[in-house]
Amino acid sequence: MKVPLGWLREWIELPDEAALCERLTLAGLEIEEVVRSGPDLSAIVVGHVLARRQHPNADRLSLCEVDVGGPEALSVVCGAPNVAAGQKVAVALPGTTLPDGTKLKKSKIRGESSEGMICSSRELGLSDEHEGILVLDAAAPVGAPLPQVLPVGETILDVEITPNRGDWVSMLGMAREVRALFGGAVHLPPCEPNESPRPAADDVRVAIEAADGCARYVARVVRGVRVGPSPDWLRARLESAGMRSINNVVDATNLVLLEFGQPLHAFDLATLRGGTVRVRRATAGEKLAALDGETRALAAADLVIADAERAIALAGVIGGAETEVRESTTDVLIESAQFEPKGVRRTSRRLALRTEASYRFERGVDRDGVARAADRCALLIAELGGGAVSHGRVEAHGAPLAHTDEIELHAAHPNRLLGTELSRDEVVELLARVGVAAKAAGEHLRCAVPSWRNDLDIPADLVEEVARIHGYDRIEATLPVTEVAPIDRPAGYALLDRAREALARAGLCELRLFPANVPADLDALRVPAGDRLRDAVRIENPMPGQGSELSTTLLPNLLHAAQRNLARQVDRVLVFEAGRVFHDRAGELPEEPLRAVALVIPGGRTSLWEAHEAPAFFQAKGLAEAVLAELRQPVEFHAGGTAPWLHPGACGELRRADTVLCRVGELHPDVAKAFALDCACAVFEIDLDACLSLAPVSPAFREPSAYPAVRRDLAVLLDRAQPAGAVLDAIRRTAGQILAGAEIFDRYEGKGVPAGKVSVAFRLVFQRGDRTLQDQEVGKTTERIVAMLGQRFGAELR
Amino acid sequence: MSAGRDDLDALRAEARAALAAAATLQELREVRARFLGRKGSVSSQLRAIGGLPAAERAAAGEALNRAAAAIEADAAERERALERASSDAALVQRALDVTLPGVVPQRGALHPVTRVERDMAQFFAGLGFSIEDGPEVETEWHCFDALRIDADHPSRDSHDTFFVSGGHLLRTHTSPVQIRAMTGRTPPFRFIAPGRVFRVDFDATHSPFFHQIEGFMVDERVTFGDMKGVLYAFARHLMGPEVKLRFRAHFFPFTEPSAEFDFSWHGGWLEWGGCGMIHPGVLENCGIDASRWQGFAFGMTIDRTAMQRFGIPNIHRMFDGDVRALEPLA
Repeated sequence: MKVPLGWLREWIELPDEAALCERLTLAGLEIEEVVRSGPDLSAIVVGHVLARRQHPNADRLSLCEVDVGGPEALSVVCGAPNVAAGQKVAVALPGTTLPDGTKLKKSKIRGESSEGMICSSRELGLSDEHEGILVLDAAAPVGAPLPQVLPVGETILDVEITPNRGDWVSMLGMAREVRALFGGAVHLPPCEPNESPRPAADDVRVAIEAADGCARYVARVVRGVRVGPSPDWLRARLESAGMRSINNVVDATNLVLLEFGQPLHAFDLATLRGGTVRVRRATAGEKLAALDGETRALAAADLVIADAERAIALAGVIGGAETEVRESTTDVLIESAQFEPKGVRRTSRRLALRTEASYRFERGVDRDGVARAADRCALLIAELGGGAVSHGRVEAHGAPLAHTDEIELHAAHPNRLLGTELSRDEVVELLARVGVAAKAAGEHLRCAVPSWRNDLDIPADLVEEVARIHGYDRIEATLPVTEVAPIDRPAGYALLDRAREALARAGLCELRLFPANVPADLDALRVPAGDRLRDAVRIENPMPGQGSELSTTLLPNLLHAAQRNLARQVDRVLVFEAGRVFHDRAGELPEEPLRAVALVIPGGRTSLWEAHEAPAFFQAKGLAEAVLAELRQPVEFHAGGTAPWLHPGACGELRRADTVLCRVGELHPDVAKAFALDCACAVFEIDLDACLSLAPVSPAFREPSAYPAVRRDLAVLLDRAQPAGAVLDAIRRTAGQILAGAEIFDRYEGKGVPAGKVSVAFRLVFQRGDRTLQDQEVGKTTERIVAMLGQRFGAELR
Repeated sequence: MSAGRDDLDALRAEARAALAAAATLQELREVRARFLGRKGSVSSQLRAIGGLPAAERAAAGEALNRAAAAIEADAAERERALERASSDAALVQRALDVTLPGVVPQRGALHPVTRVERDMAQFFAGLGFSIEDGPEVETEWHCFDALRIDADHPSRDSHDTFFVSGGHLLRTHTSPVQIRAMTGRTPPFRFIAPGRVFRVDFDATHSPFFHQIEGFMVDERVTFGDMKGVLYAFARHLMGPEVKLRFRAHFFPFTEPSAEFDFSWHGGWLEWGGCGMIHPGVLENCGIDASRWQGFAFGMTIDRTAMQRFGIPNIHRMFDGDVRALEPLA
């Protein structure tokens, strides 16, 4: 809400601007912006005329010595007849630009140098007065910027109003708040019109048919009005508050809306059929041509103002075009009502039509201010457009809106909730400042809620008022005293945290991405119809260009992100995301299992020290195994798998017993292509939910053997199609207890190796924990292994 | 020639200077011969002892032997030094180009939000706050109604909600976790609930998802002043002792009294979060006797703290997956 301070000053005395803004902000009226209208005079300073003498070469000029707070007084030539020694004046120094655009320079005037200019009101853009210089208050501090001593233009506060405080959205509300914070008295504008003898009841009848939609309806009639443009002061006032001037009658209703927060509407009485105002629900198929030029179909729940035949306004939202006040209007019907807030909000939301009126009705108006606003408006219309205010108001009442008249507050409640030590008298005084009259009743205070405070309902609401006016900043910060208790973390949260840590430690960069996709993303992953990944939760109101379904897999967004990185010329991408995915469960809240997905795109770049980087798949496999080890999940690798987005010849699973904890593989070439990834790319997905269901196995201490180990390297020729992992497994089983370790350390095909064959080298380490091995034992075991390799795999030693 | 004490000291000093001047092992051997050899200074002095009176011979002999041993020790030390120098010189012949790059292990990176969230959780763990989480797809009850955010009240307007199939919604704040955590629990308790939240809002400064941390504590006497104290301690943990906080009255349907709080680090106030004493109606909605128990709740974005800590100018730079920007923050 825009609050012009000059206007507010007419309602209540104001403290200085900085203090006002500070206290209002702390009290819940956040000042979003301070806007100043009028010329910028911050470069003009206050000067003190120390001496004045006649210019030696010009009769009409004076030569002044002016102190502007600098080390030396300035010499200034001045042409104004009213300049005199001892005056405080506004001085523009060389380099300053005046509001009319003139830039001042040091100059010589008739042989005397002038080091500045003493300004008139007109030169400062303040008025047309040019008879002489502007003489300031004698107390003005020398050297101060002019705006500090001379209120120039209007200062407008843009205040954020919280949705509970309908009563704040007016000058009256602001004035009350200033009174609460700084004291003083609120002055209301005149509200009692001179009435003609003719009874208003002769002009119109009012009936509330939808009693639950309207608590009170007050009509006033002004006859013989001349509709025309508003005077300058009224136009300026509306504009300063951000409203547009229409004509004097409409402007009067809007002015009262701004003054009292009570929305009003003016009808052209002559256009009302049947001399009747009815407050009723809309009928089936009813339409209203509104003031904004649009015709809207009404819903049965909409509350309308109607005459005998048709709807003429949407109650609390907008008036109708057919009954609007125009130049030909002579007789005006003023509507002031209290509509039920939720109904106004529903209609306004349904039609996406938010008006100054609906904004205030949604937040609630002062039930005791309805009649006053109608009176004030009638007075203004008669003043502005002539005409005679008919005698009396025409009123109707519906069901009163629920409100709290009195709240019983335990006198110790504020201290108990706030941690303050306020006396009972202080509490009573603080409440009185916001218009709440508190009377002692035993240990309690009986607190009368003023009619404009629709938001006060329970004792805690009053505690907030006490705290607000006392000042939140004056409540001492303490640390709670409570019992010591061990803390808890949900297992899923803890696992997600560990997984992220492990993935980052393994060298991957964590991304966080918006967890939504378009169905085409799943097509690109080759996910078949009917797959569980297709059971997505749909976003009913997706943003343009963003996903329309919550992610059932984190993979597509990671692939998109990888593609963007490649497009930014990043050549090596190791990224992961860990978090929830969403599977629809018709009717119930979706399942939100935890997943971690990682992606490896090798740079294809050899480092100074390494001849080549491992292929994407083996990097991904190693990372997956390392992460699962970190998560204390003992797993075994199984070749193959079922994920349609993986390369069928380069994928596998990490399983613990029968549970698949991770799928790893190179991206299927079609999928890579669909995501515009023109490079080798491997991915792995860890099912963190599955990990949660399996108890982690912490590594146990094992004493390293004190006896020497014996190393044997075996290079064998195998069929190219023979998986080396199976051979390694067979070696382990054959070797038995004395094999302490076995690994594949070389693989070679090419020159020297027959076609269709591959040379694989195994490094075997033999060791016992209880004694030194004998050569014979190692020899025999090795022979057994070689024999087995020959028999089972047709392998020959190289 | 008598071998007086002064003469022996001079001899030793002379030997030490000569040893120090020996630049090679060969020179050292020559010096050693000059002093300790059969025709060396020590030997000639030894011979001179024979000419002394018998009563002085023993003492003079002993003094000479000590001097000889000291010279020998000096020579041995010099020899070791020369040997070391010569082998180091040989190593330098085979020097590495140490200006070549070291092998840097692949460094991963936790997301800035993750890092700040962990830091925050760790602080609150220190104050005995447990962690609680809840679903990201929520019911209207948990996200709004139980928190007294009425569909027909303007306070709903600030929640630009994503609605999803099944009549549910993406949580717009972490406060529904409050409802889930408090329902069925008996105070006293204190929790934080960090997590991802969603708003239909996409412009230069808004991301459709961001992260909040919610904290709440319920006990018999926990006060607004306690809430201020906890938030002050939290701010100092994150931003250092010079940080200032400011509490402004505000409105939230689920707290009463309510406040927004701003921090000031190096001048100027920046909005940080919202807080207040949990509304009795919310406690009752969770089955907690509001006449006995009271508590505070607060919430703030994690993202803003992360942006401030790492100097990230725009929230979108955290969520567009640009590894060039994110990796160096590790």
